[in-house]
Formats: sequence, structure tokens, C-alpha cells
Amino acid sequence: MRNWLVGLLIVGFVSICGCQPADKNKQESQKELKVAVAAPYTGGGAAFGEMIKRGAELKEKEINEAGGINGMKLTLLFEDDAGKGSEASLVAERIVNSPQKILAVVGHFNSDCSLAGQEIYDRAGIVELSPGSTAVEVCEQSIWTFRNLYRDDFQGKFIAQYIDNVLTDLESVAVFFDNDAYGRGLRNGFVAEAEKIGLNVVASEAYERDSTNFKAQLTSIKAKNPDAIFISGLFAEAGLIVKQGREAGITAQFFGADGVDSPDFLTIAGSAAEGTYLSTPFTFGAAGAEAKQMAANFEAFHGVAPDTWAALTYDAVGMIAEALEKTYNAEASLADNRKAIREHLASLDTPEEGYNGVTGLTYFDINGDTVNKPAYAKIVKDGQFTVAEKQLSELK
Amino acid sequence: MAQLLEQFINGLVLGGIYALIAVGYTMVYGIIQLINFAHGEIFMFGAYLALMLITVFNIPFWIALPASMLLCAMLGMLIDLVAYRPLRNAPRLSALITAIGISLVLQNLARMIWSARPRLFPTETLPAFLVSEVNMQTGEILNAIPLPGGGILPYRDVFILLLAVILMIALNRLIYLTRIGKAMRACAQDRVASNLMGIKTNQIIAITFAIGSALGAVAGIMVGLSENITPTMGYYKGVAAFAAAVLGGIGNITGAMLGGIIIGLAEVFGAGYISSGYRLAIAYVIMIAVIVIRPSGLFGKSTANRA
Repeated sequence: MRNWLVGLLIVGFVSICGCQPADKNKQESQKELKVAVAAPYTGGGAAFGEMIKRGAELKEKEINEAGGINGMKLTLLFEDDAGKGSEASLVAERIVNSPQKILAVVGHFNSDCSLAGQEIYDRAGIVELSPGSTAVEVCEQSIWTFRNLYRDDFQGKFIAQYIDNVLTDLESVAVFFDNDAYGRGLRNGFVAEAEKIGLNVVASEAYERDSTNFKAQLTSIKAKNPDAIFISGLFAEAGLIVKQGREAGITAQFFGADGVDSPDFLTIAGSAAEGTYLSTPFTFGAAGAEAKQMAANFEAFHGVAPDTWAALTYDAVGMIAEALEKTYNAEASLADNRKAIREHLASLDTPEEGYNGVTGLTYFDINGDTVNKPAYAKIVKDGQFTVAEKQLSELK
Repeated sequence: MAQLLEQFINGLVLGGIYALIAVGYTMVYGIIQLINFAHGEIFMFGAYLALMLITVFNIPFWIALPASMLLCAMLGMLIDLVAYRPLRNAPRLSALITAIGISLVLQNLARMIWSARPRLFPTETLPAFLVSEVNMQTGEILNAIPLPGGGILPYRDVFILLLAVILMIALNRLIYLTRIGKAMRACAQDRVASNLMGIKTNQIIAITFAIGSALGAVAGIMVGLSENITPTMGYYKGVAAFAAAVLGGIGNITGAMLGGIIIGLAEVFGAGYISSGYRLAIAYVIMIAVIVIRPSGLFGKSTANRA
């Protein structure tokens, strides 16, 4: 008797749970345009994901408050890849097969993740627009992949020339790199340029993601006595490297890349962060009035200042929204709508056609790479990131 | 040469920390033949609890350290009480799977409470001598002993090593000189017979968990002094410490101490001189090589003399 009753309860419960949302979906799916934002919301890179999410949310709110996309609401779905390639391919499968009819993907952030998802997005025919992956090969292998920032060969070149031309008293460099697509690619770009311009690379040491103890490698680097140490990796490890390096008595100038560009780098490294240089694809300190307005809105909405990645994601969501506005056809199939977004992005191939966002003008080359955006040098001063006094005006 | 000496010290410090964790694995295994996979998580909780005591309750470091040990000892006993004691006479595999489950529960609990973001002890809350830093102008290093050849030995590393050695000696004395230690050794030899002789085996097992967990907590705090505190730290360090326990012969406390030092040195020398990408792989290769030659580990015996 009791079993029978429990059974009935379960059946009732399941049917209530099962039916209601289904009905709701049906009603709303016509009015909502869904875009996935895939990034590391958990794991060691969660600080990146947090800013990416907030930047995307701000753009979503602004679009919907201004009447949406041709009267339809933009809905973002946040998918967590934990910064791991293995997780990213699962996320990609989930996105392309989702009954939610996702039209495009903003993401992934880590180059490893963008590459892992790429094959799946390519097969399904859905745009992957990354606001953070800088590894050289990311856009080359798929016509569906785009990004709105520079590549690592450019960034590596920028850092090498900055050290050589601006920080002229530094003559030898050690490279300490994350052993993944991003870290290796950036190291290769840097070392190639350093050899060309005669900057002496005295050591090249690797570390694995999520490592927390770098003393062994730092001791090896210290023995080579370099003037500067270039960390080709992400902020969590870089913060510890800088901290443990200073503890071990290393006085060399630390230099990071955009992977270090997160407020969490400052909290992890503490006072050891002071004086660290890094390169970044965008900085509010050197940006126009539009970006300052966006930063103010961001702070009003989220209560914290935005970082580089919030701004780039804000623009990436804006680009997808613009594509939807111009191409979305409610009568057409999902595959056709996904394809139309790609066609629109691919058509942004000249400065005149480009998208004007807070991070500057974005347009794509034949691969889907953005080639016009500059790099900036930042320095940690009084516990804050500030735009470095001397910038490199032009790359040779 | 200076580099060699400095790497050796790096290895000893890491090894000392591994030894502290490995002892927790090996003691529990010695007494109930359970690989307590949740031990790595207790180590992680030790670091987090100390961090909470220091940052939220403003408790000084020297009180937070023993307080966190005590809390972790209680956590260890609690885990034994709710998760392992009901399975004492169940097949070993059931207890092992429960241990993995508890490990996952604790790791995710930490993620819920403290988020996945890496944290550190704020430097100003630590005793001054534990914070070594280089003076960027003069190149002088605060709170460190200069070594011949230009290397340095931070006071913190000395502190970690001394603390590890003192705790190991204390543990050794406890096991061989006290009544509780005698009871633990008896339980390790034959639990049923010990019970028949009037030893309260459940109580002794709980004490074993408490001691192992308290040592794990110390290791967690020591790691937190120079590395990140994250919910997954227990996994990474736990696996290496487990390898150390197996290398030394699981169930043997001296073996675990030595195993920890060997793994720590192997990791540091592997990363410093061979290839940094394979630092853990090199440590495991050594472990596997030893296990192939001596299946019971360096100090392990096939007989029942475990604790």
C-alpha cells in the first residue's frame, strides 16, 4: 500500500517537473535568441570566467533594455569548460546538440579549449568567436572560428621588441612557460623574435598547469642569472612564480603576457607583483570615451571594475548580436541561421565593414583572425595595473 | 654547486611535507587496511581552516596552527565514525569506494564554501620570519640564511623542516613508548585479538585517524605558506604523498617518512635537472621501479607488523 502511494507520488512529481518547463520553453523559444558563452567559470582560471560572464551580462542587459534584437530577447547561456580541453569538448557537444537551439558560441577563452571545441563546432556548423584565445593556430583550421584580438606570434614579437627597445638595460631573458597550446605558442613567438633581434635567451623552462611549487625550476633559472624572466602562462601560476621567485632571491625583471592580465594576479603575488610588466590586447587606461562609458556602466551594474576580458567579451557578444540583427530569419532552419551568422562575420573583412566596439575596430582576415589590433604594455604600480609610461609605437 | 645545494633543500622541504601527509595514509592502512583517499582532503581542509581562523576570526598564526590541527583531528574522527566504522567488517572494496566518495564530497564542499579561487595566507598575518623577500634595490634577502655560492635558505624552509622532524620524532615516540602506541601496534597486528585482550579497538582507530589528520593539517598549512590554497590541492599533493607511502612500504611509518623525502627529492631534481614537464612522472617512475623490485616497498613486510 505504502509503496504504491510512494510510486504514485513520484510519478506525479516527475510529471509536474517534466511538463511545466517544457511548456514554458515552447512559448518563449520564438521570442528568445540564444547564444552560449563558454569560458572557465570554475577551476584555476575562474577569475577570467567571472569577468567574461560579467562583461557578457552587461552587453545582454544593454541590448535587451534597448528593445532586444529586432524585438526578440537575447538570452546568454553560460557553459563552463573549467579551462580544460577535455571539458571543452564535452561543453561543445552539449552546445551543438542542445534543444535550446543555440545560434552561436562566444568563447572559448583558453586556446586549448577553443581548439578542443573547434572540431565539434566545425562539424555542426556553428560560429565560435573567441574573446581570449591567442594561440596562432586557433582560427586557421576552421572557417567557423573567429577571434577579436591578436595572435601570439604578434604578442611574442611585441614582448621581445618591448624588452629590447624600451627596457634597454635588459640583455638576457629566461622563458618560463606553461606547457599547453597557449604557453608553448607564445614562447615560440617570443623566442623566434628574440633570436632575430639579438636578445639573449638563456633558459627555457616548462611547468604544468595547476602546479603550485616552482622552486626547482626557479632555482635552475636563478643559476643562469638572467636580467628578465618572461612568464608565458596564466595568472594563477604566474602569481606564484613571481612570489616564489622573489622569496628565492631573484631580482630579475618579470614580464608576463595577457594570460597574466587578471586582478587575481595581484592578490596571489602580493607585494612581489610590484614592477611586473605585461602585454595586453586592450587596456581601459589607453582607450576611448566609449570604453570609459562601458567601464562606468559595468561598475554600476556589477560593483567592480571591468578587466580586459570583460571588455573583449562585451564586444564579442555585441558582434554576435549585430550579426543576428542583420541576418536572423525566424522562418529559416537553425542550421541556416547559424550559417548566416558566419557569413556576416566573414563579410567584416575591411576596416570600413568592421565592428566598432569598446576595444576598437574589429575586422577579420581570411582565417577569421583580427590583425589590426595593437598590444599595450602594462606595469604593476602601487598594487595596481597601470598603462606603462613608454609604449612601443610600432613593431618592426 | 650552490644550485645543487639549493635544489637539495627544495627537495627536502617538499619531501618533509610529503612525509607528513604520507604518515596519515600509512597509519590508517596499517591499522584497518584501508587506503583513506579522503586524507588528501583533510590536508586541504587543514590549510583552509587555518586560513579562516586567521582571516575571519583574526586569530594569530601560532594559535591557528594547533587549532586547525585539532579541528582536522576531529574531522578525521568524524569521517571514521560516519563513513568507515559502519563498514568495518564489510569487504575492503566497499570501504575503499566510500573513501573515494568522502574525498569527492569534501572537495566539493570546499569548493562550495570557499570557491575554486586560489587563496593565500595574507603576508601581514604571518609571523615576520616566515616571509622571506628580496630587497629589489640591494638584492639583500630578508629572513633567509645565505648559503655558500650565492644560494639562500629561507627561515621558513628551516621552520618547515624542523617542524616536520620534531613531529616525526614525536610520532615515533608516541608509537613505541606510550600505552596508546602499544595499543595501536597491537591493533595493527591483529584487531580481533586486541579486542579480545580488552583494547577498545574503535577508540584506538579513532585516535589513529586523529593523529594522521592533525599531521595532514600541519602539512596543509606549511604548503599554504608558499603555495596556493585551492580545493584541489589535496588531490595533487595527496597523490604524491600516497606514492611516497607505497614507496616506503604502506603500513610502515618510517617507510612513509623516507618515501616522502625520496619523492620530494626526485620531484625537485627531476624538474630542476631533467625536464620540468615531467616532475611528477619522474617521481612515479622511481616508485614503480622500487615496487617492481620490492613489491612490499622499501620497508614493507609481508607479515603483519605494520604500525
